[in-house]
Amino acid sequence: MKKLDKHQHMSTPAVAARSVGTRVLRSEDPRLLTGRGEFIADIDLPRQLHVAFVRSPVAHARITNIDLSAIRDADGVALAWSGKDVAAFCEGLVGEMAVEGCVPTTMPLLAGDEVLYVGEPVAVVVAESRYAAEDACELIDWDFEELPAVINMDAAAAGGPVANPQLPDNLGLNGGASFGDVSAAFDQAAQIVEGRFYTCRVSAAPMETRGVIADYEWASKTLRLWSNTQMPHYLKYMLTAYLGFPEQSVEVITPDTGGGFGMKAHVYPEEMLLPLLAREVGRPVKWIEDRRENLIAGAHAHEQYVDIAYALDAEGKITGVRTHALGDGGAYHMPPWSMAVEPWCAVVMTPTGIYDVPAAEYTYKAAATNKTPVGAYRGVGYMAGTFARECLADDAARALGMSPFDFRRHNVVREFPWTNPQGIVYQEGSWRQTIDALEEMVDYPAFLHRQAQLREQGRYIGLGLSCFVESSGESSATSLEHGLGDVYHDTATVRLNPNGTANVTIGLSAQGQGLATTMAQMAADTLGIKVEDVSVQTARSTDHAYGSGTIGSRGAVVAGGAVARAADVVREKVRQVAAHMLEAATDDIELVDGLASVKGVSDASVSIADVATAIYFDLDSWPKDFEPSLEATQAYDPSQAMFSNGGHAILVELEAETGFVRFEKIYSVEDCGTVINPNIVEGQIRGGVLQGIGASVFEELAYDESGQILTTTFLDYGLPTMDVAPPFEIHHLETPSSHSASGVKGMGESGLIAAPAAVLNAVNDALSPFGVVLRDLPLTPEKVLDAMSVATTASGPDEGL
Amino acid sequence: MSTTPEERLDVSMTINGRRYRSTVEARRTLADFIREDAQLPGTKLGCEHGVCGACTVLLDDLPARSCLTLAVQAEGRQIRTVESLAEGQELNTLQRAFREQHGLQCGFCTAGFLMTATALLEENPTPTRDDIVETVSGSLCRCTGYQTIVSAIEQAAAEGQNVTNGGDQ
Repeated sequence: MKKLDKHQHMSTPAVAARSVGTRVLRSEDPRLLTGRGEFIADIDLPRQLHVAFVRSPVAHARITNIDLSAIRDADGVALAWSGKDVAAFCEGLVGEMAVEGCVPTTMPLLAGDEVLYVGEPVAVVVAESRYAAEDACELIDWDFEELPAVINMDAAAAGGPVANPQLPDNLGLNGGASFGDVSAAFDQAAQIVEGRFYTCRVSAAPMETRGVIADYEWASKTLRLWSNTQMPHYLKYMLTAYLGFPEQSVEVITPDTGGGFGMKAHVYPEEMLLPLLAREVGRPVKWIEDRRENLIAGAHAHEQYVDIAYALDAEGKITGVRTHALGDGGAYHMPPWSMAVEPWCAVVMTPTGIYDVPAAEYTYKAAATNKTPVGAYRGVGYMAGTFARECLADDAARALGMSPFDFRRHNVVREFPWTNPQGIVYQEGSWRQTIDALEEMVDYPAFLHRQAQLREQGRYIGLGLSCFVESSGESSATSLEHGLGDVYHDTATVRLNPNGTANVTIGLSAQGQGLATTMAQMAADTLGIKVEDVSVQTARSTDHAYGSGTIGSRGAVVAGGAVARAADVVREKVRQVAAHMLEAATDDIELVDGLASVKGVSDASVSIADVATAIYFDLDSWPKDFEPSLEATQAYDPSQAMFSNGGHAILVELEAETGFVRFEKIYSVEDCGTVINPNIVEGQIRGGVLQGIGASVFEELAYDESGQILTTTFLDYGLPTMDVAPPFEIHHLETPSSHSASGVKGMGESGLIAAPAAVLNAVNDALSPFGVVLRDLPLTPEKVLDAMSVATTASGPDEGL
Repeated sequence: MSTTPEERLDVSMTINGRRYRSTVEARRTLADFIREDAQLPGTKLGCEHGVCGACTVLLDDLPARSCLTLAVQAEGRQIRTVESLAEGQELNTLQRAFREQHGLQCGFCTAGFLMTATALLEENPTPTRDDIVETVSGSLCRCTGYQTIVSAIEQAAAEGQNVTNGGDQ
């Protein structure tokens, strides 16, 4: 495997923790709690017009006629375009990934001759108000011939009717690899356990929908684009690459954002269209997606089958793993991640997990269907892969007559660094300790006792375990480690002001993670000042620091590294001047708790504020040849891939009369190295786990046979509500990263990654008296009730029902 | 007589103690009136079909979905929005509790939770955890997992929070 050359921007300074590790209250909150946040829908530009889309009502059809003249004649309409109008400016967005067997697609900004999924944009209308724009959309005159709708991914992958003419075999992705002697492991296995697991199609469903505002000034060729994107700099690059806007005059502005979870980490046709519309009408244009559009046209997520098999030796050790993922990619590759985002990530990133498995083999396929394209959602591929692996671990434990804790402990990696069969290196971790901690937290013997007692009363509780390893701090090194060549790096700017306070700008946009608070903590400790004296701007504008996107659990690690590196440059300036002022050597100066002090000399110190003032206003304080800028911009990219780890144990009860899965308690163990702010880490765990519960039990984007989506409101698409949300007990383990700033590792995705496996394992544990094992999500009351009643009539549980 | 959706009607209402008069289309939602006509964008629209609760305001002291209410239906009535909660330039007890309990992340759903909780605490200053869950479960949050929201409302109640004074006092 190609290794990354080490560069200067990959080293971070050592810093004494003061604010890091404490529960600093968020600086974001007062604005958000008083209605003073500024989200994209809250932004209005003078003279703005409003945009609405006509979207396909059918899954697959050839457009035979399209006439927008009635729309154009309607009151208040400034412009209406169909696919033909926009194709002259941009053919579409190419989606592909540099992995074996990826066939690219081009997604038009507005449908051309064919519509390929319900919700695909067909025409766009610009009008004086949103009300007028939506009224005008109703006036479209168009005819289409329906074509066969390809809905089932198994059938699609086997050939037959074509979903997208760009993919004649219905395959957007097809490949695989083998590491170690997998055949021998399976040939010589004492036992093989295997299963096919299904993760259903869901929506990330951030509470704030997508939105775009574009303002183009022709005289200066200046384009300002507001988008609640997770990747403002990448979007800026795409605006110049696809549309030809001059790079130096394009600014992408990211306001407060109401959750993203990956859905906003794409480049969408709407983001490309709005600038073209603004240029055409000569006025700012604004589009705020409604919830129906969000559910049918925002990227979908997750839908795939994972077939997984373990070869077990006579001692119950896993000697080999085979994984095959088949994803339903929808009608197009969703740029920039493509259909690889689920099946490829699932098989490449997750098969070994925490287990010491010497041989692994995988294949992956993505089928094109006439459904909404599938994109990123918190923990891409990791969720489905972890789900299959951890549920199979429970199958194996059952087959071996071991407890789920013992089976995992029996197979867990114990020595670090550990290199998995693919050559991925895990530097450190608390993998075994996680199992032990969870077993203790749930008091397993007491649980078993209670479970047996309740069963006698006809009540069915279950405990499910799931352990994860999460690739975090997405970096060039992580990409290379997984066989890709993507380059990541982010910058941060730190400025120390004359009174010793600091302003920090980072290149990542925030969607609720509290980055303004955690980055203030990182800067404060590096500069030796109080966290209240630091103000952080996240990437509100691409005019400032550069960023590779708020994705892949990288915010704390990568922005944190850049902030620490930039603050360190400023710190060195302060140390030089303090040394001159204190008549000491620079190397002897330390900056802690607001003071620049000479190490070991208790009364030799000067306040950092006084040093800063002196640098700005007092030439006599400067050492010879001093350069007085107290502002630095530095880049950071981790030198190696890094992995956080942990696990969840979830306690459920199945309601025998309704089949409803009731969540009693969640036990979570998280090791993300050094914790910057426990409140924020725990918030990420709770929120992520609840999304995992949603994806396991409550949520499914459902389609009928004709390819019509049935879940277009929050009445049909059920998010978890407060009354079903369980309490949490959270335990932190801290195994610091050896190479990130302060030892921080990322953890934003682990809740959703690992919770569904724990949910299914818990439900299957509760179902164990019925002799039924479920493997398909979501675990609807119908499925659970069927499992309980079918089994009752077939063989009957031991206990009377 | 029936009114067409586009027909314009006079409307007058009090929002956060201040009188607003306008002529609006009959179909204009109260949410759009509050956000655009009254320029109070703290009230958010999460679904526009009455499920998520982000747009909840107090209409004559009772929680109402402003996305499902027409502006003309608020004729002559008293409305309170999230902008009315702070006490001068300080967070009120409920807002402070949300901050201290980490009861918000992205903050998009927060106004709806705050207004629903305000109504609850005005009606029942000493709610149990179950009371809170039952009352506030009509609002959706995608970030927090809810437990810290319940804890925040519990904390506000425990601190003897008097939230009866809206912006009109």
